[in-house]
Amino acid sequence: MRHSYLDRYSNLDSPVHRLDARAKIVLFFTLTVVCVTTPATAYYAFGGYLLVLLVLLLASRLPLKHVFGRSLIVVPFVLMVAAFIPFLKTDVIGGGYNLGGITVSRSGLLVLWNVVVKSSVGVLSTILLSSTTPFGRLLKGFERLKAPHIFTTIAAFMYRYSFVLVDEAMRMKQARDSRNFKGKWIWDARAIGHMIGNLFMRSYERGERVYLAMLARGYDGRARTLEGEKISAPDILFVIAVMTLVVLARVLGSRGMLL
Amino acid sequence: MQHHKAIEIKNLCYTYPDGTEALRNIDLSIENGESVAIIGPNGAGKSTLILHLNGLLRGKGEVRVFDLPINDENVREIRRRVGVVFQDPDDQLFSPTVFDDVAFGPLNMGLPRDEVERRVGKALEAVGMVGFEKRAAFHLSFGQKKRVAIATVLSMEPDVLVLDEPWGNLDPRGRRGLLNVLHSLPVTRLIVTHDLFYTMELCDRVVIMDEGRIVASGPLGQILADEGILEEHGLELPQTEPRALPTADRKVWGNLRSLKKS
Repeated sequence: MRHSYLDRYSNLDSPVHRLDARAKIVLFFTLTVVCVTTPATAYYAFGGYLLVLLVLLLASRLPLKHVFGRSLIVVPFVLMVAAFIPFLKTDVIGGGYNLGGITVSRSGLLVLWNVVVKSSVGVLSTILLSSTTPFGRLLKGFERLKAPHIFTTIAAFMYRYSFVLVDEAMRMKQARDSRNFKGKWIWDARAIGHMIGNLFMRSYERGERVYLAMLARGYDGRARTLEGEKISAPDILFVIAVMTLVVLARVLGSRGMLL
Repeated sequence: MQHHKAIEIKNLCYTYPDGTEALRNIDLSIENGESVAIIGPNGAGKSTLILHLNGLLRGKGEVRVFDLPINDENVREIRRRVGVVFQDPDDQLFSPTVFDDVAFGPLNMGLPRDEVERRVGKALEAVGMVGFEKRAAFHLSFGQKKRVAIATVLSMEPDVLVLDEPWGNLDPRGRRGLLNVLHSLPVTRLIVTHDLFYTMELCDRVVIMDEGRIVASGPLGQILADEGILEEHGLELPQTEPRALPTADRKVWGNLRSLKKS
C-alpha cells in the first residue's frame, strides 16, 4: 500500500542532506527560538531569518512545491488570529486603518504579522529539517544530543507502527466496503465504532507481541545504541556560521539597523 | 558440548490465565544438530510451546536448554542460545532501519561496536540481504521482511533456531528462498508449522501436537506414511500435482512419494 511519508525527499542528496542530524537539529531549533523571541517590530531581523531559510532551502534542492504545500499547515492558525483582529482596538485613535466600514487596528495588524512570520519561520524550519533527514537519523541525532531515551523510543515505535496501523485500517475498510457498507446514517456509526475498537485491540495485542520479540532477543528495559560517528568539524563550523548570522540579524534588526 | 541435548522438556503443563489448558504433560527432547518439525492444527499449543523454550512463559514442569534450567539467572544466556523467529515479521522488526533491528540482539548482549557490526554483516549475508542495512523494514516485501527477521536472531549466534510458521504468507519463490537459507545454516532447527510440504525437505523428525499434547513423534518417513494419524489430527499431505510446482519443488515431491512407499 502507498503511504505518504513523513520524511519524504529525505533521501535526496544535497549539502543540507549531508549535514549531520545533530547539526541540523541545533541549527533549526536555535533559529526558531531566536525568531520567536524577536520583537514583532524588528522587521529586518525577520527578513534576515527568512533569507537564511531561503538559502538553505535552495541549497537543499527540495521541490519548492512540496515545501510550500506543507507550509500551508499554518493557514488555520493565521485565519484564527485574523478573525480576532477587529476586536483588538487598543490604538484605534492613534493609527487605525479604515477599510470601508471595517476598522483594522494597527496593533491588530502587528499581531497578525507576528503570528504569520513566526509560524512561517518555525514551520519552514521543521519542514527543512524533516525533509532533509531520514527519520531514523533524526532520532539518532536526538539521542546523541542526550534527549531522553523514552521519548526517542516512543517516537520510533510510533513512526514504525503507524504504517502497519494504516494498512490494517485500510484492509478493514476494504473488507467493510466490499460488503456494501454505506456509512451514511447515524446507525452506521456503530460499525465505525466497532472498527475503532477492533483497531485498538489489534494494536494492543501487537504491542504485546513486539515486546515478546524484544524480550526474546535479550531486551531488559535498557535501550542500547551504537556510539555514532563524531560530528565533523566542517559541520560544526557551518552551524556556528549560520547561527552567528541569525543572531546578528536579530541584534541588528532589533536596533533597526541595516546590514 | 556436542553430547548435550539441545532442549529437554519434562512433563510441562501450562494453563493460560483465562483457564485454557494450552500444554498438557509435554515431554520432548531435541538433540544438538537435529532438525525437528512440530506440526499440528491451529490451536494445538505449538506457539505456546515456543514461548517456553526461552523462558518467555514458564509453566509447571521442567525445561532445560543445553542442561541449563530456565530461571532468572540463566534466562539471558538461554535467550542467546535459543533464537526465536516469530510468525509475523512486523512484530520482530520494530527499529527504524534493518541495521538497527539486526543489531538489537547483539547490543543487548553488550558486545562492542566492531563485533556488533561484524555480526550484523554476517547475519545479513547468511539470509542474502546485504545492502539493505539502511532501509526501513516497512519498505521491504514480505519475503524480505521474513529473511531480515531471521537475521535479527542469527546475529546473536544461537545454537538453536526456532521458527514459528515460517512459510505462512510467503509465495512459492519466497518459500524456496527461505528454504535455501535455512538449509545453509549450521544450527539445530525446530520448525513449528501446519504446512508439511516444505517442512519435509528440512526436517528429519516430526512431532505431532494436538490439544496441548504430543500425540506422535518419529522419523519423517514413519510419520508421513501413517495417513491415519495425520487425518485424525486434521493434517494432510500436500496433494499438489508435480506439474504445478516449480522444478526445484518437484524433487521434494518425488522424495515424498518414495518416502511414503518405503
